[in-house]
Amino acid sequence: MSFDQDLILGAISAYVVATLAFFNYLLSRAELSRRIGIPFAIAGCALQFFELAYRGTSSHIWPLTNLYGSLSLFAAMSVVIFLIFSFRLGTWFMGGFVTALAAAFLAYALTWNEGYLPAVPALQSYWIKIHVPLVISAYASFLVAFVSSLVYLMKYYGERSVAEPAGPAPAAGAELSRPAPRSIIVGDSPNLERAAASGNALALWLATLPTLAKLDIITYQIVSVGLPLLTLGIITGAWWAKEAWGAYWQWDPKETAALVSWIVYAVYMHLHTRMTWRGLRCAWLSVVGFATIVFCYLGVNIWISGLHSYKM
Amino acid sequence: MQISNFWFGMSLLALWGFMTLIGVIVEQGRDPSFYSANYPPALARLILRLYLDNIYHGTAYIALIGVIVACMALATFKRVIPARLPPLHPVKIEKIPLHATIALTEEPSRARERIEAFFRERGWLVRKRENSGVEWTFADKQNWARRGVLVAHAGFVLIAIGTTMYWAWGYSGNTTILTGSDVTIPQNGTRLRLDRFAYKITPIQTRGGLVYQPIDYVSDLRVAARGAAPHPAVLRVNAPLDIDGTLYYQASYGAALAFGLTKNGRPVSGAPRAPLKEGEGFTIGSTSRSIRYDRFVGTIDRDGRIGADPRPNNPGVVVDFADGDQTIGSLLVPLDRDLDLGSGYRLRIGDATLFSVIEYRHDPGIPLVGLGAFVLLAGLCISFWCVPARIYVRVDETPEGSSVGIAATTVKGFEIFEEQFGALVDALRGDLRGRGARPEQA
Repeated sequence: MSFDQDLILGAISAYVVATLAFFNYLLSRAELSRRIGIPFAIAGCALQFFELAYRGTSSHIWPLTNLYGSLSLFAAMSVVIFLIFSFRLGTWFMGGFVTALAAAFLAYALTWNEGYLPAVPALQSYWIKIHVPLVISAYASFLVAFVSSLVYLMKYYGERSVAEPAGPAPAAGAELSRPAPRSIIVGDSPNLERAAASGNALALWLATLPTLAKLDIITYQIVSVGLPLLTLGIITGAWWAKEAWGAYWQWDPKETAALVSWIVYAVYMHLHTRMTWRGLRCAWLSVVGFATIVFCYLGVNIWISGLHSYKM
Repeated sequence: MQISNFWFGMSLLALWGFMTLIGVIVEQGRDPSFYSANYPPALARLILRLYLDNIYHGTAYIALIGVIVACMALATFKRVIPARLPPLHPVKIEKIPLHATIALTEEPSRARERIEAFFRERGWLVRKRENSGVEWTFADKQNWARRGVLVAHAGFVLIAIGTTMYWAWGYSGNTTILTGSDVTIPQNGTRLRLDRFAYKITPIQTRGGLVYQPIDYVSDLRVAARGAAPHPAVLRVNAPLDIDGTLYYQASYGAALAFGLTKNGRPVSGAPRAPLKEGEGFTIGSTSRSIRYDRFVGTIDRDGRIGADPRPNNPGVVVDFADGDQTIGSLLVPLDRDLDLGSGYRLRIGDATLFSVIEYRHDPGIPLVGLGAFVLLAGLCISFWCVPARIYVRVDETPEGSSVGIAATTVKGFEIFEEQFGALVDALRGDLRGRGARPEQA
């Protein structure tokens, strides 16, 4: 087995450990689990970036010219973006999902690893060093936003499934096994508060997650990073296309699929300005948006032939 | 329904996304026969009748983008700007979710001065207004960013104008040049002569097998703009030539072949005089039969089949034979060998001459499209990353001194500003406490 493949397997292993630790943190809020998960997630990223650098320097071939390289960067950037947001917003509860998806995409990337292949003429451009990382970073942002939306949906439907216990709502300041309400605007639903006060395990666990309003804002903030990155990715791609193929927009399936994703997230941002659309509907729209990203990234590359069919 | 209506705009965006998705899924720009052969009959008919085979250049798609631009422009000025730049009007503080009250022992005018100083020190724009005898203090943060949507929408409009400029004044096309020959571009009179075309394909062993990877395509040209002397130029992929504002791109290449057809040793009329390129053909004499050059084959292997190596080791050509519209069959024919077609007909396909396919494009709208793209990006960044907020402060006199009512609104709702508001109120309370006031609960 080659050295670069060893590095990738090391990264997958680190992500698996991080996934277990972060899921344990999600379920138990054990601080130790979070402290284990963070260094393993960082180690996985570091191994991946080292592998990409090693591939590039040992072969003198830019490592992002094929699906293997780009999927590898996608996995690494997903974890990087998750880490940045978590250090800023404390979103460690999403870690298990993000690192699990990163490990899965990385394992899938291995199936496309055909070794070192020089770039075809269309890819021999400095733009590949700008356009591809930008677009992949945008995809990675949307993956993290997708996870945030999943947590929102989990909490939303979890709250609904918690049966309302008989009796009055707990008095203000009642001792719950969770921190005090974290929002002065919209807290958890009274139903959840009551169920948690009566000791319902699911309600107690759901109450450890941020409020739905907060989760909605977290998703919005991640999409706010992803959409400008996708826009910049499309712009740089158009610029490159002008140099390589003679027209900045050719209605190639990849371009148009990226436009579809852009439109979906533009609609998301517009609808998020409406109070009635914030929350559940926007969370579902974020899920739909990520589905279009997966289609644009993998579906178009693998199933639809066009100017962007760079599988190997 | 007004064209600037929010939901109308959202419906247009959704429709745009849906129509664009159709173009991703349905192959574009193919012959009608392609759809009949590759889709169920009903779907093929639907595609052709609704012009879904060329959806992006259809009237409906272009009109939709036009309506979106109009809707966006109207909505920006009729709805977005008025909503984002609200007048300095008083509010019911306790009705705003982000609100707090601080009780002070100071008289109102003194408290107001301190509060204004507090916000000014933190970079807030402070303004005062009197309404119905009550003095209000308004503090705005990132007020300029309220115009982010206007900037983003302006970028979109610039892109639309730039694209329209290409339709109005631009042109594009492609030309095929055989090695040793020249062409004139009809739109601008530029002459291009191809001295040499070269390509490089390298065999590389991968985990999945041997791959013949294209590495380089190069056209050595002599270029003469209208009325100018010719000069040498090298054209490569990713390195277009700019000649008097028209860009030339290396697009493709191929091998042109000389087809010689004889009957009983004498040339047959109708046989082509110039080399044929892939996809071209000719009719045999006065018969209904025809020969078509399907594709060039670099290597014919030892078993007489098409080899994997595209480089010309043992080259050949796949030739299609047809009678009228009916294809009779295909043959893999080695170059420079006679092929007996029967009835005295003999076909001989000569050496290959490489040709280069060059695309050209004159697009006067590109600077505007580029500018629009970056204006759009700047607008998105301003809109998404800045949270313009307004603080409303009302100071009322109380028997103990004064009561400060403070509330905040943002263009993105309340949750996004909740933590900052809490911190701001805490800091204000601390500041006032430090100056001898007696703050109470929020």
